[in-house]
Amino acid sequence: MRINGLGMRLIRTAFVILLLGTAAGVLIFGPRTGKTPPAGLVVVEYWEKWTNKEEAQMRQIVDWFNETVGRDKGIFVRYFSTSSINQKTLIATAAGVPPDVAGLTDANLAQFAALDALEPLDDLAAAHGITAAQYKRVFWDECHYNGKLYGLVSTPYDIALHYSTKLFAENAEAIRAAGLDPMRAPRTIHELDAYAAALDQISSAGGIDVAGYLPLEPGWYSMWTCLWFGGSWWDDPSKRFTLTDPAVVRSFDWIQSYYRRLGKSAISDFRSGTGNFDSPQNPFISGTVAMVQQGTFLASFIHNNRPSMDGQWAAAAFPSESADLRDVTYCTADVLVIPRSAKHKNEAFEFIAFVNRREVIEKLNNLHCKISPLANVSESFLATHQNPQIRVFERLAASPNAHGTPPVPILPQVLDELSNFTQKLALMQVTPAEELPVIQARLQAKYDLFMKRQRERRAATGLEGGLQ
Amino acid sequence: MNAPEMKALAKGLGFLSQWIIGLVLFTALPIGLSLYYSFCEYSLLQRPVFIGLDNYVEMVHDAIFWKVLWNTFVYAIVALPLGMIVALGVAILLNVKTRGQTIYRTVIFLPSLVPAVASAMLWLWLFNAKLGLINLGLRGLGIAQPPAWLADVSWAMPALIFMSLWGVGNTVVIYLAGLQDVPRDLYEAAELDGAGAWGQVWHVTLPGISPVIFFNLIMGIIGTLQVFGTPYIMTGGGPARSTYFYTMYLYDNAFSYLRMGYASALAWVQLLIVLFLTALAAWTSKRWVHYQGK
Repeated sequence: MRINGLGMRLIRTAFVILLLGTAAGVLIFGPRTGKTPPAGLVVVEYWEKWTNKEEAQMRQIVDWFNETVGRDKGIFVRYFSTSSINQKTLIATAAGVPPDVAGLTDANLAQFAALDALEPLDDLAAAHGITAAQYKRVFWDECHYNGKLYGLVSTPYDIALHYSTKLFAENAEAIRAAGLDPMRAPRTIHELDAYAAALDQISSAGGIDVAGYLPLEPGWYSMWTCLWFGGSWWDDPSKRFTLTDPAVVRSFDWIQSYYRRLGKSAISDFRSGTGNFDSPQNPFISGTVAMVQQGTFLASFIHNNRPSMDGQWAAAAFPSESADLRDVTYCTADVLVIPRSAKHKNEAFEFIAFVNRREVIEKLNNLHCKISPLANVSESFLATHQNPQIRVFERLAASPNAHGTPPVPILPQVLDELSNFTQKLALMQVTPAEELPVIQARLQAKYDLFMKRQRERRAATGLEGGLQ
Repeated sequence: MNAPEMKALAKGLGFLSQWIIGLVLFTALPIGLSLYYSFCEYSLLQRPVFIGLDNYVEMVHDAIFWKVLWNTFVYAIVALPLGMIVALGVAILLNVKTRGQTIYRTVIFLPSLVPAVASAMLWLWLFNAKLGLINLGLRGLGIAQPPAWLADVSWAMPALIFMSLWGVGNTVVIYLAGLQDVPRDLYEAAELDGAGAWGQVWHVTLPGISPVIFFNLIMGIIGTLQVFGTPYIMTGGGPARSTYFYTMYLYDNAFSYLRMGYASALAWVQLLIVLFLTALAAWTSKRWVHYQGK
């Protein structure tokens, strides 16, 4: 087909209009840089993982700082929303141009600290009057590696059993028939199993219509299940993995017991029919799972995705194997750290310390629907919190049986191994008794090699610190 | 070299300098450094410490290394020939003069324009065991228990291989260009010699486009041995590492476990494997690749 002169002119004009339109669109609707800092202030670059609503909420805190402490002390914090923050912080730190403050997670802290990527904060914390006594033990400990403080918590949460009081009421007879009380949550693993069986609704074809409980729905915390069995897969004093500890073996065997009872295909089929966590099709929110192990923030997702469910659920301590083991929980947190070679350490810590003021951290964690890391919590925080069960979560996090993320510098490898292991359990490919010794040997070898290399490095370079 | 020639050379090098500097700084130097790092303990955050062949020795004893290597070979051995055969078959069909030929070509090429993440999200739903269209169709055909696809350790790999056919459009276009170059007179001669349709494909078309097949083979070897994005998004390597591929393990070592030295060693082994297979293909090509004029 030949295009005549008029046609060419039209194409050319359309092309130019398209280009100009795109340029105008980018200029009008395109991305904006953050607020321009007033002249003469020290600019603290703050990289954080949050986007959308959580970002907007953290920006409130940043603005609060800039308008108060920042203005008084000549500091301006600039917030950058950064995806894959641990990797970007890693690369920026390696390149010698890190942010002044980075919002990592506790799972990264030991790894980064062991590799000398973080600034110890003990002296700065002491200068600001920040001490262990102000924090819940578990969160203060989580910020330490090898006895040094490497960060402070921003938004922490802990794990509890969420149960649908509506489904409990609807199945009250079946629950009573099992000798249980439909007006309360299970208190032991044995009871949890009995409640789950009573609440299960199995179709005539053997499919699951409603599950009372599924250990791997969503399964985010399956590697910590041993805590509720009185065990742990890491012994910090001896720096040894303890995956063959009988309590650890029992905990994974309990996870697999659901696959034996309900069938791996039935569970797989059921789970493939459920939706994303942050959607009305979340199985707990849609009412197809009656009990779920989840963090403090779930209340916010329930409210956003299905407001009619407000008041139809409750939270309780996740049941333990033994009735004597009470208020067990796993606590995890986002942490604010200062990467090595950050340009404005003192100013960065001013911001971190500000975030850790009670009124500030309570506002942030109310917005994020999480708990406070501080030991003393105000009554207004509890009374106005968007999670109606916040007192349960606060009690659990303050409990002597609250456990944090262990300070293992090869934690990402450990979590990957255990995630793969639980998948194998769900597929009935292995049993805990036969596979855990293999994983134990593999992880211990990796840890020992990591530590050996770090010792050799330090011997060669004459550096100290970071090493356990 | 006289003065004007020197001036012309300087001018030429000046124009080339951006490319040369870019090549040295962003390709040659990183390649050289990664070779050095493969003999080091290096986390990116600390200075590299030379440890000799330790990373390579560790690799030999690393069960996950062998697992991902096996997975990658299985994927490559099935996906590569399958993709080439399907692409060639489609290209031959699209080369037939017929009404709507351009539309068919566009439809075949379109999926390869869809970003990998978007394709992955789409196929996640297609492969959904309970709600996916594929299993809906299979149930419609009377298969009561269709596979759980990505959730099933036996079906996750075949599902990814099947999905890889979605992107054959690029290869089809290259084959089509090759098919246009096969001289018509060869077909006429074959026809006079009594060759049927299959005979013409076997004796004329395939030898005629053998350089293109060779090119696609080499690109396919490189591509399938580096498979990363789609399984990373769709399965994360699961279930139970059944779709955990070499490049995913390399990536995890580099950016999750911060073992840049070990990841560099993995990268060099991967390069050597690709080089060996490419050299093998090049060596055998003397027997089956025919260039016009030779």
